[in-house]
Amino acid sequence: MVPWPRPPGGPQQAACHFCDTLHEALPLPEGTAARCSCCAAVLYQNRPASLARATAFSLTGLILMVIVHWFPFLTMDAASLRTTLDLVSAARALVGQGSWILGCAVVLFTILTPLILACGLIYVCAPLLFGRAAPGSWIVAKWLNKAEPWNMIEVFLLGVLVSLLKLNMVADVHFGMGFWAFAALMLCMAAAVSGIDRNELWDRLELARL
Amino acid sequence: MRRQFPRAANLGLAACHTCGKVAAESLGDCPRCGSSLHLRKPNSIQRTVALMLAAGVLYIPANVLPIMTVVELGEVTENTIIGGMISFWKTGAYPIAIVIFTASILIPLLKIVALTWLCLAASGKLHPSPGMLAKIYWFTELLGRWSMVDIFVVGILVALVQLGNYMSITVGPGALAFAGVVVLTMFAAMSFDPRLLWDRLEALEIEPPSPYPEDP
Repeated sequence: MVPWPRPPGGPQQAACHFCDTLHEALPLPEGTAARCSCCAAVLYQNRPASLARATAFSLTGLILMVIVHWFPFLTMDAASLRTTLDLVSAARALVGQGSWILGCAVVLFTILTPLILACGLIYVCAPLLFGRAAPGSWIVAKWLNKAEPWNMIEVFLLGVLVSLLKLNMVADVHFGMGFWAFAALMLCMAAAVSGIDRNELWDRLELARL
Repeated sequence: MRRQFPRAANLGLAACHTCGKVAAESLGDCPRCGSSLHLRKPNSIQRTVALMLAAGVLYIPANVLPIMTVVELGEVTENTIIGGMISFWKTGAYPIAIVIFTASILIPLLKIVALTWLCLAASGKLHPSPGMLAKIYWFTELLGRWSMVDIFVVGILVALVQLGNYMSITVGPGALAFAGVVVLTMFAAMSFDPRLLWDRLEALEIEPPSPYPEDP
């Protein structure tokens, strides 16, 4: 795989997103980051094997998503009743009680956004591995940017732990396969999203279009 | 001697919000990805203040109204965010009480205070001190999402605890208000442009502090 190629057209520039200091964007060795000379914010990073990593972790993420939804997340034994929880049922319970906005928010932040991120990264990065840009990858890459802050898998995981401690007083709660898959999904999505630098992704897209 | 850094805006250059390419702002649209170019995020301070005010207003019902109602053997308990934290504290679950306190009470409140401070500094009402403000901005950007944890807890409990007459949990109106606070403060942090702080420094001719201690 080709390391981060530079699009033609003179010296590349980078402006710090934090303090607006203009830098010449010099090529970096893999695994290092360029920092702003004024405020030390990260300008861009050259991730090792970026495209392959982003694609691989996203694919793993997709497989894990299937497991998350296929297997129970938590099972609870209380008052001789067994209830199982999965991600969708949490949202459905909220909708069922009339707070459909909250239900939609849970679906959006824990199911839809990770799905968009994983599918989008595969759609953009996999063809780029062969130096091509998939049709419409422009728009997809823009959406990836917008979706990123709304991926709240890790927050949901903390929520699971908190509710577990709440329920421990009244019931027996067990982790299901879905929970472990979800924890792995959290790591995978973090690795996939940080697998490729935004500047590198767009440089590669620009070159692939030429 | 004052350390001089070339700043993109002074040269009429803007970094694209979407793809990071530096291009002349006069082009209007980014030559690479087609997003519209701005030297600074448009109406940054006004938008941030407006979103923050909305979040501040919602913060009151979010804390006063119950986020969930527990019916246990016919006995109805209304749970507010603070109430939930206190009950954890009383049962001795200190770490989890601290987590809830931080995520649900401290972070939203600190975020509103921090963004107010940032807006005041960026609009010239306060002295901008970038070392400190950089940390504050990083904090608001990164930690805001964790406040959502209480909404997820409510969702999980509502789905899981439906044990008929023995115990059941329903959502309270406070949950929606609280979700509103989290989403609005996230949008507020996104619409704030930290470069405005450095613009103030430049206008006041204050030397930015060096973040690299080994620098001469």
